[in-house]
Amino acid sequence: MSRSFFLRNPSVLVFLLVLALFTLGVTLMSEAYGTALISTSFVKTLGKTLCLCLAALAMDLIWGYAGILSLGHMAFFALGGYMIGMWLMYARTEEIVVAALANEPLPATAQEIQNGIAGQIFGVVGASELPPVWLFAHSLPLQLMLVVVVPGVLALVFGWLAFRSRVTGVYLSILTQAMTLALALYLFQNDSGLRGNNGLSGLQNIPGLDGVSQAAVSVWFLWASAVALGLAYLTLAWVVSGKFGSVIRAIRDDEARVRFLGYLVEGYKLFVFTLTAIIAAIAGALYYPQAGIINPAELAPIASIYLAVWVAIGGRRRFRWGFTPSTGWIGGWFCWACRLWRSRCLRPRALAGCSIWCRACAGPTARGHRLAPMMAR
Amino acid sequence: MRHIQGALLATALAVTAGQAIAQETIKVGVLHSLSGTMAISETTLKDTMLMLIDEQNAKGGLLGKQLEAVVVDPASDWPLFAEKARELLTVSKVDVMFGCWTSVSRKSVLPVIEELNGLLFYPVQYEGEESSKNVFYTGAAPNQQAIPATDYFLEELGVQKFALLGTDYVYPRTTNNILESYLISKGIAKEDIFVNYTPFGRSDWSKIVADVVALGADGKKVGVISTINGDANIGFYKELAAAGVSADDIPVVAFSVGEEELSGLDTSNLVGHLAAWNYFQSADVPENAEFIAKWKARMGEARVTNDPMEAHVIGFNMWVNAVTAAGTTEVDAVSKAMIGQKSPNLTGSMAEMLPNHHLTKPVLIGEIRADGQFDIISQTEPVPGDAWTDFLPESAVLEADWAGLGCGMYNTETKTCVQMKSNY
Amino acid sequence: MRALVAALVAAFLMLVPSALCAQSAAEILLENRALVEKPSRQTIGPVIAALAASGDARAADILAGWANKGLGLRKSDGAFFLIAATADGYALTALDGSDAGTAAKAEITELRPNSGVRGLISLALVQFRLTDPDPARRAEALATIARDPAPELLAPLRASLDDEADPALAAQKDRLNRLLTLRFDPDSAARVAAIDSFSGDLGLDLRAALNPLLATVRKAAPLITPIDGNIARDLTPGDDLTEVEAYDLLVAANLAPARLSRADLKAALVANIVDGRVAGTPVADLNTQAARNAAYTALEAAGIVPLAATDEEVTQASASHRFVEVYTEPDPKVTTAAARALKAIETKLALMQAADLGLDALSLASIYFLAAIGLAITFGVMRVINMAHGEFIMLGAYTGYVVQLFIPNYTLSLIVAPPLAFAVTFAAGVAMERLVIRHLYKRPLETLLATFGISIALQQLAKTVFGTQARPLTAPAWLDGALSVNDVVQVSYIRIAIFVLALIFLAVFLFIMKRTRLGLEVRAVQQNPSMAASMGINPDRINMLTFGLGSGIAGIAGIAIGLFAKVTSELGSDYIVQSFMTVVVGGVGNIWGTLAGAAMIGGLQKGIEFLNPSNTLAAQTYMILFIILFIQFRPRGIIALKGRAAGD
Repeated sequence: MSRSFFLRNPSVLVFLLVLALFTLGVTLMSEAYGTALISTSFVKTLGKTLCLCLAALAMDLIWGYAGILSLGHMAFFALGGYMIGMWLMYARTEEIVVAALANEPLPATAQEIQNGIAGQIFGVVGASELPPVWLFAHSLPLQLMLVVVVPGVLALVFGWLAFRSRVTGVYLSILTQAMTLALALYLFQNDSGLRGNNGLSGLQNIPGLDGVSQAAVSVWFLWASAVALGLAYLTLAWVVSGKFGSVIRAIRDDEARVRFLGYLVEGYKLFVFTLTAIIAAIAGALYYPQAGIINPAELAPIASIYLAVWVAIGGRRRFRWGFTPSTGWIGGWFCWACRLWRSRCLRPRALAGCSIWCRACAGPTARGHRLAPMMAR
Repeated sequence: MRHIQGALLATALAVTAGQAIAQETIKVGVLHSLSGTMAISETTLKDTMLMLIDEQNAKGGLLGKQLEAVVVDPASDWPLFAEKARELLTVSKVDVMFGCWTSVSRKSVLPVIEELNGLLFYPVQYEGEESSKNVFYTGAAPNQQAIPATDYFLEELGVQKFALLGTDYVYPRTTNNILESYLISKGIAKEDIFVNYTPFGRSDWSKIVADVVALGADGKKVGVISTINGDANIGFYKELAAAGVSADDIPVVAFSVGEEELSGLDTSNLVGHLAAWNYFQSADVPENAEFIAKWKARMGEARVTNDPMEAHVIGFNMWVNAVTAAGTTEVDAVSKAMIGQKSPNLTGSMAEMLPNHHLTKPVLIGEIRADGQFDIISQTEPVPGDAWTDFLPESAVLEADWAGLGCGMYNTETKTCVQMKSNY
Repeated sequence: MRALVAALVAAFLMLVPSALCAQSAAEILLENRALVEKPSRQTIGPVIAALAASGDARAADILAGWANKGLGLRKSDGAFFLIAATADGYALTALDGSDAGTAAKAEITELRPNSGVRGLISLALVQFRLTDPDPARRAEALATIARDPAPELLAPLRASLDDEADPALAAQKDRLNRLLTLRFDPDSAARVAAIDSFSGDLGLDLRAALNPLLATVRKAAPLITPIDGNIARDLTPGDDLTEVEAYDLLVAANLAPARLSRADLKAALVANIVDGRVAGTPVADLNTQAARNAAYTALEAAGIVPLAATDEEVTQASASHRFVEVYTEPDPKVTTAAARALKAIETKLALMQAADLGLDALSLASIYFLAAIGLAITFGVMRVINMAHGEFIMLGAYTGYVVQLFIPNYTLSLIVAPPLAFAVTFAAGVAMERLVIRHLYKRPLETLLATFGISIALQQLAKTVFGTQARPLTAPAWLDGALSVNDVVQVSYIRIAIFVLALIFLAVFLFIMKRTRLGLEVRAVQQNPSMAASMGINPDRINMLTFGLGSGIAGIAGIAIGLFAKVTSELGSDYIVQSFMTVVVGGVGNIWGTLAGAAMIGGLQKGIEFLNPSNTLAAQTYMILFIILFIQFRPRGIIALKGRAAGD
């Protein structure tokens, strides 16, 4: 990353500066490290917003740059959350079970501890055995690896199948939506081994941090989310500023022409799809410990559609001068506003619906849409 | 007498102290979804709470202060429940919360209220296997609804073969697990228990109904225990009626179908099918008549009352009494005073808060009438709620006792407290 | 149950001769007032039997009244009356039949026996009703016998056979007679004859009668001891039952010692902790199962704890015993005949079940087709991604509901509703096309988002107007019930109606597209808008009409779907993804493709449900996965457009 990269893209520095100032400001106003102007629940909301910004960033790359409207990125987001949630639940329960078994006359066998944990976690859904998918849940490093690997592999396989058979445009959107629905329905089953409709809960209690108040933990997560967002922003801005960025934009504008020029279009698309899936998954892994609970409703198809909507409203394709903050940033904020709205009364939800099509109707006309006539016929 | 004193006190305060003191209120958080899929059920409970709070204020408030309802809308979004609970406790600083409907929403709220030492009254029948220091469960535990209804099937209807149909989520799963081991303990063979789970909002029931009818092929009397939730019931009952299955051939007892749900249905084909609750609007006692009259006067003639509403009435009255007895709204003191509280329920008996934070409740079994109400055909004496069921081996050894043992998950075999916090 | 019924009927039969000197019905009721007030099936039997046997001429009426909530108790003096509800209370009839005036509602407790007790009452009434002059009563009696067959009912049933004038009832009586005979007749030849008389019959009642005859229990005995009873078959451990099951049988029969469970082992170790050691091993080291086993073996060797069965002993024990299944029915001739009869209908039954499954699949396919056909027009012909399609279905269903509010006659409202629903959704579709979609023809992804926004707004609108509660949309009485070919193959009339409706839609669609000017213009605009425009066709108008047509059809489909399921604001979103799948899988732009897609998805879903009957959610998941894979291999669907019209 040379100096000239920042010179060419001054907005990156501006963004990082704003992000740093924001984080510092929130820290200084938090209950744990400052003047307690901002309540802990609000710090959590801000931290979650940063995670959503990160997801919106990924969405912006895949939709705004590569022109692939994926309606499945919230599924990757939630999968990341599930992966980290498994470790959080397992480790927390393990502490409890080991403490409880310590009172017994005989020291516990590994099997007994395992059974105890399974009973505690799955007693709620009427099972008492640890399903195979929990094989690595005892180990944080392994489970952290899975945060990247599981959504990554899913995206890779799905993307390979889809791009290979040249599924494009709205067909791809519908297909990704179907994938999301299938995944959500699968997780809804109690037999899926991830506690069905109840999902994983109590994730805000970080194992080993019993002595630390939620006020402090919330700030830590805010920091972590800000660092992740900053790094991702930097990486993505760098990636799209080079030749790679030019190619994927070209694919968006005229896929066939890029293919005729000798580029391996499927490879590029697959890379972007997988990369953004992984970013979304990391965002999810940071989001759900702050939200405290994850369940299949989180990856219902509507969540992914909302993600697309935030990005659309936040300003997709404002990349003329590089990767401007407006995209993911505003998208994330919008989503936060959406949530707040939704909880106030009924009408804003309808309002949100209206605003979507207003935005779509009044939005920029066919800019960068040379591909459109072909798909729209 | 107390009412008059309270009223006098309130008037006196209002007159002398004016605005300054009147502003100091006791805040009651109402955490029910007012939008989203659960709004249909939960909005009614919010209205019930507001009615109860207004009534109490008309009586002169509590501890000389007025009650103030803080209503938030978690929008049927489970993570939002945790967020809103935290907001209620830390920002609005409520003294007590009444709320939640689904188990998952309760599980979402649990870590927050245990961390911040809040107080929650949970009014819906649920699957048990839980007793939190910070929650009072005013709905039925499985032994107050599912088990008595199954007994009724076994003893009164002579059912020999059971179809346990449920929506695929936690309450039906756990309840059916408990029922399965209960039935096996009653000598029903495992092959005679048919279990099926369907998704929320299921509408295509033809195959499942055909399967249930086919269960009768070995000459045993078949009964259906339904934990089917919400809208899906409509398609199910329609298909039953279309297949010509009458309540005399294959009785269906439902645990999630009450007056509110039936108001969306043409009930003429359902007459004779059953529901088990702890309260029916048709309960013929003066307390109930008074409550229904107040409710209809406030909400309109067409509105019905139902079981979770009664749970809120009992819970609220007990909380008021406990606060009065403790002289403060401080959570630990109120929790202590709650245990042993007695309050009349709306079906003619007394509800008592047990040390395991569950209530004693009578079990009522009703037959659906053509007008969408229920004929109460069986009513037991109040049954004490059991937090940990006796019919699953892992939880049979567990006990909850916040008064004597100070533990919600006490292992009676090893004589140790498994954990102070709850499973979530 | 059975025993209870037997006792009741026996008591009744015994009491008949002495009926002349028995008490009156009123006296019996008064004597057992507590029991009658809160009757339980377990205890009320004798009272009902006594009433039936009392010889009181009005006993049958009193019993019938009691069963139908027509018996009341006056709160003031505890007297029983037959009651009939009037506008402001009850009209009372004393138990001897005389008029007893009226009473207010509050004065009378209406007795509500539960359905178990009602069942007993109607059993007791069978005696009276079998020969009742009213055919409806006789039919009721027969239904009661069919529901609770009991040996004691055989005699009265046979006695009533000859006098039956109604041919339908006579046939029913004959069938019931044979069913009771094959189960309860003391003569084994008569039973076999009765079984044989049913050859090839698929009736559920027959199977319900035959299967209990073939009920078995498992038994175990040492190899040398002969096992008595009607043996069904021998069981081989490992094949017919697992080793564990076999050993459990032995333990249950006290033929072998119980196996040591881990918990028992642990308890034994805990009981033998001496100075922090168990048999010499320090307690702290007992944290693996192997160490615990070793410690137990050491304790066994020291003779402190009882010997537990080892794995070899278990294997040996199951090898040295015989395991059999024994019929509970002692008569081998009957069991053989019953097994033969069931075997004979086995294949036919399986075929019928397959046919039933096929009908289910067909019905589901027609529902999917109905939901998707509007989409086949808007998406398939116009290539507009209309995510609000589901909400048009919902609008149609709500229109049906509103029509029923104004026209209480269900038949009439069902005639009025479809055109109205078509009009409403046609208007909504046209409005949407004019206001939104027209501006987005060149931007499909934005169309998707915009229509999705509209779908949320429409859902919210429906919630605000109609509430979140599901609304009833009731089918007229002639659509109630089911067409049943036999006891296995059944399909409800409403599903048949939906199937027919789907066919009509298909025909209408084909007619409009192939035979009308509009269809010609639509196809022209679809293929080349500018060329069509130069031929004098107004593409704007055609697009508007096409979109309106697709939406309108969705509206009518909404009524059908609402009739069969429910009307809620989420009705549409339940079907939207499936509908898109149907169109995409079938092949865009071709109605036959949509039909094929619906058939495939419906059939597939039922097939998966059949393979995994206890989990319907899994079926949906697998189906979607299958569709995703299917699209990989046939991206253009089952029936793909060829040539230039196929576009990209």
